Amino acid sequence: MKEYTVIGQRVPRIDGRQKVMGQAKYAADYSLPGMLFCKVARLPVAHAKILNVDTSKAERLPGVKAVVTAKDFNGWTWGFMANTRDEPPLAMDKVRYYMEAVAAVAAIDEDAAEEACDLIKVDYEELPSVFDPEDAIREGAPVVHDYRPNNVSVEYHWNFGDVEKSFAESYLVREDRFRTSRATKGYLEPPASLAWYDPAGYITVWAAKQSPYFHYRHLAACFGLPLSKIRVIQPFIGGGFGGTKNDSVAGDFCAVMLSKMTGKPVKFVYTQEEELTISKRRHSMIVYNKMGMSKDGLITAIQSRVIADGGGYTAVSPLTMYLTGCCTPLPYKLPNYKYDCYRAFTNNPICAAMRGHGVTHTRFACEIQMEMMAEELGIDPVEIRMQNAIDNPKPGEIYRTINDMTLKTCGIKEAIQTLVRDPLWAQKDKAPKQDGSVSYGVGMSATSYLGGARQLGHQSCAAIVRICEDGTVNLITGATDCGQGSDTVLAMIAAEELGVRYQDIDFKMVDSAYTPVDPGSYGSRVTVLAGQAVQTAAADAKKQLLDILGREWKVSPEEIEIRNAEVYHRSNPSRRIPFDKLAKIACYSGSGAVIIGKGYSGYGIEPLGFENGRGNAGTSFSFTAQTTRAGVDMETGHVTISDFVIAHDCGRPLNPIGAESQNEGGAVQGMGQAIYEDFIMDRGKTLNPTFLDYKMPRSTDVPDIKVIDIITDDPDGPFGAKEASEGSHVSAPPSVVAAIHDATGIWFKEQPVTAEKIVAALKEKGKWPGKQ
Amino acid sequence: MEQIKLTVNGKGYELQVRPWASLLEVIRDDLGLTGTKEGCGEGECGACTVIMDGKAVNSCIVLAVEADGRQITTIEGLAEGDKLHPVQEAFLEMGGMQCGFCTPGMILSTKVLLDGNKNPTDEDIRKGLEGNFCRCTGYTKIFESVKAAAQKIRR
Amino acid sequence: MAQFYKRLPRFQYLLPKTIEEALSFLKEHKAAARLFAGGTDLIPQLKKREVDIPRCLVDLKGIPGLDSIAYDEEAGLKIGPLATINAIKDCPYVRDHYPSLLQAASSMASPQVRNRGTFAGNICSAVPSADSAPALLALEASVRLLGQKGAREVPMDKFFTGPRKTVLETDEMLLEIRVPRPKPGSRNVYLKLSPRHSMDLAIVGVAVVATCEDGICKDIKIALGAVAPTPIRVPAAERILEGKRITPEIIEEVSQNVAAQCSPIDDHRASLEYRRDMVYILARRALNNVLTK
Repeated sequence: MKEYTVIGQRVPRIDGRQKVMGQAKYAADYSLPGMLFCKVARLPVAHAKILNVDTSKAERLPGVKAVVTAKDFNGWTWGFMANTRDEPPLAMDKVRYYMEAVAAVAAIDEDAAEEACDLIKVDYEELPSVFDPEDAIREGAPVVHDYRPNNVSVEYHWNFGDVEKSFAESYLVREDRFRTSRATKGYLEPPASLAWYDPAGYITVWAAKQSPYFHYRHLAACFGLPLSKIRVIQPFIGGGFGGTKNDSVAGDFCAVMLSKMTGKPVKFVYTQEEELTISKRRHSMIVYNKMGMSKDGLITAIQSRVIADGGGYTAVSPLTMYLTGCCTPLPYKLPNYKYDCYRAFTNNPICAAMRGHGVTHTRFACEIQMEMMAEELGIDPVEIRMQNAIDNPKPGEIYRTINDMTLKTCGIKEAIQTLVRDPLWAQKDKAPKQDGSVSYGVGMSATSYLGGARQLGHQSCAAIVRICEDGTVNLITGATDCGQGSDTVLAMIAAEELGVRYQDIDFKMVDSAYTPVDPGSYGSRVTVLAGQAVQTAAADAKKQLLDILGREWKVSPEEIEIRNAEVYHRSNPSRRIPFDKLAKIACYSGSGAVIIGKGYSGYGIEPLGFENGRGNAGTSFSFTAQTTRAGVDMETGHVTISDFVIAHDCGRPLNPIGAESQNEGGAVQGMGQAIYEDFIMDRGKTLNPTFLDYKMPRSTDVPDIKVIDIITDDPDGPFGAKEASEGSHVSAPPSVVAAIHDATGIWFKEQPVTAEKIVAALKEKGKWPGKQ
Repeated sequence: MEQIKLTVNGKGYELQVRPWASLLEVIRDDLGLTGTKEGCGEGECGACTVIMDGKAVNSCIVLAVEADGRQITTIEGLAEGDKLHPVQEAFLEMGGMQCGFCTPGMILSTKVLLDGNKNPTDEDIRKGLEGNFCRCTGYTKIFESVKAAAQKIRR
Repeated sequence: MAQFYKRLPRFQYLLPKTIEEALSFLKEHKAAARLFAGGTDLIPQLKKREVDIPRCLVDLKGIPGLDSIAYDEEAGLKIGPLATINAIKDCPYVRDHYPSLLQAASSMASPQVRNRGTFAGNICSAVPSADSAPALLALEASVRLLGQKGAREVPMDKFFTGPRKTVLETDEMLLEIRVPRPKPGSRNVYLKLSPRHSMDLAIVGVAVVATCEDGICKDIKIALGAVAPTPIRVPAAERILEGKRITPEIIEEVSQNVAAQCSPIDDHRASLEYRRDMVYILARRALNNVLTK
């Protein structure tokens, strides 16, 4: 195999220096002369008919320049699919969740903007509301949207093979009810944007968006302008994880509208409490799971009936519910599968995408249920996994799931075997099981996640590699790094393919006026798809350079190689020039040339089978096996997670620091979902919208983490790469819950497994060592 | 308005501030030092950490008027020109960041920790950073960065 | 209409240079003034408009000498109103004589907050889960208050009157927290239970002070946080143990009694039942820690 010069190196992040020096500018860090401040006014009721909005007092307040309400948007709404465009920038006829936006103010400073919001008066009539998704889809429930009188926002019914027959023939069949947390992304940077509506008919925004081109289309549609006049400039992004920063929020539209009304630039910055109360969060799902097994533990069939709490609007949920269903046939062989899902409209905050999108719910259910059944059959957790796991296809072969997903590589068996040899698992029976009141346990999981996610519409990523005459390179893509390190990986890909040094690449962040359109940073698609585009663009630029040099040297271009910024003749390596010389020769050739390489990704052309669940949800699939050691205080229920070992098949880690860090961060976020994180709701109101009470893992909570790479070199990925991080996010919850089971002897089916739930379960089983 | 004098990154300032303005708002909006971030605004996340008279504080819950007569260091004051502080160097080399929003506060808390303890144990590091929240990294690379920084400083 | 405030409400900022000046501000503004020390509790509350907006904040940090921590064998520990949580945590006297105060201080928030927040502020805010309160209660601390009508000393168990409420009059300020020297041979401990390993409020906090002399329990004091409208002492439980021989059975009985006497709330942080169960567990641990180790 070819030895890489850049790929696989532990390089510093391309944006690292700016970040450690405090020079990296995020949306809230931008300002313009004469800028006004936008504040959004909200209604603290979960479901109400709006009768009248009186902004007159607010408008008269000194310092206030404009007030916007729903009528200014002329009934415009947006959404993921043509028939689900149900969300308005500001509530029109009614509010559907607590603290939905109703109006917004622009003022000369934040004090005045806040004072003005206090002065806006709304007359409303409270409506009957519904908060439980199972209640919501029962007949007679209060209706959230008239266009869905049964409150079913999305439903799919897929059937592969014959589950009924298979269950009848199975040795063991189990049915359980699982529930996943009301979790959220929890990034540090709240939504923000600085907007400027140029009266000549241009919109420019510096917006905190991990997928700026969604926003670009939303702004064009909302303001009736051509896309060519929408300029979304992407600042540094303070964390993404899906949901809000893949979408637009009330403040985004209001800031632009207020700029249009006042002729001034307008900035908004949400508070963290605002983000945690109203922004798009993960669906909490109820999964009724039924699994069949043969006597020796082979999975014969799975039937999942999923009821998801969708909140007040549809958002991206047609994709959520697709992903929740489609990946169940991974990473274990599954011959019969049935999926029925119902996403319910409720008067809770909107639920949408989040890291591990969809897959985390059903994989949690299947993984735990499989272990429960293995326990009943007396089969060891490793054995049950190994005998059901999908084999790594031989080179040139393809594994096809029952719903027509195709794998060219699958490292799950190797990952499991690697963990079995690792000391955490291998020596688990030698480690102490009990110390005082603390019981210890080790758990395992094996999961999969898609990379290069597809959805509807424009799928391709594009890249431009522009050679400067001094041998440095501009890399221009439509991809966004929201922290995951993709700018670094894309620069590495460009350097490797072109043959230059990593530090010669300058990465340009998204500016929709100049960078190519790109779907965005979601579904672990950037490395895989933007990576392919970059590789193609770099190869194109390289070809142009070598064609010119070939003419100059009077040799065939194929005979020239570029490595480490050195250009040489393959069969006569002493004939060589530095890359900067080549760049100069090329750029000055003839009367002067322009060397621009371009490329785009070629995957994802086939449409996704939303109705039948068939086809590839992504271009390739990562596989993760994870072990967790947990200590459970049997008196207090308090859990300490001390170790994670993650064996991850991301094909090939292009940037090892980045891939490790993604796995570590993904797993810790999954651990939060497993034991801490949950929004506590009271009639649609989030009771814990703070970092104090929405409990995310902190420095004193996290385990020691070891990441082991399983190299499978996927033929479709750039340099063999597949996805990293969503895999470990999905593997963490079942692994943690299995460890808690090993420590307590109890299977928990509802996330998060809090200390209180553990004590309640121990009491129920008569295992709580306290007074009874 | 209140008149205050303070030193930020070695430079003296005389400012008129509203009594209810936070130190964070004054650092960001009046001084234009946007390296200090607002994550939660209530002292839970540590993204707004600055060093005031040698101690780490959450500038979002310190009033600007309280900083009268104080010495403040923000992330912009750590490097000497182009030369990074050893803590910055370590975070860069070990990859102790992803999105970077917590990074300025994380680095300043690390500096204060190492100013007082050049040989921190794993436990000291975890406790020393308990006020700085990171959602991206899972902390592993941050802990490695702190250890590398301690090594650089000891050298 | 409702909104999520980012800015603090408007107020006047007063910076008295003497205690007398501070008191005169209080006299002038009464309930419209709020004393202000570290601000780590007050500022977030004001941002969220969770408390009445004061017309003025009276910052005590302009008055010299209020941050002292002093100890002598006679009077014990004297904590000034501006002594920060970290100052208590790092104080050698506290480390040597009052481990429960050290445990309380170390368990509170973050280094950044402990650098600003004060013990005095922690008890004057009077949240039921205040970590310093159970330790101070069990150590039989008292507070010295000074107001227009002069000075008075209030024992800790008379200080709290309800959630976020104390006996402090609007024109009074806390001048000192006094913590008697622990009796020779006595031990003290504070145990806190919270969901995460740090940065959390107590779900339950238990402090115990006692002496074990020839197997007999003496001078037992038990205090609880976060399980009643105020931090509380549990004298009935103390009476069961006082003067008795220490056995696993009696520790069990007292722990159950402690749990029976608390009156926790059911809220988003924990259920009533869990809090009560955990009072029992933590009381048992604290008693064993102090009496049997």
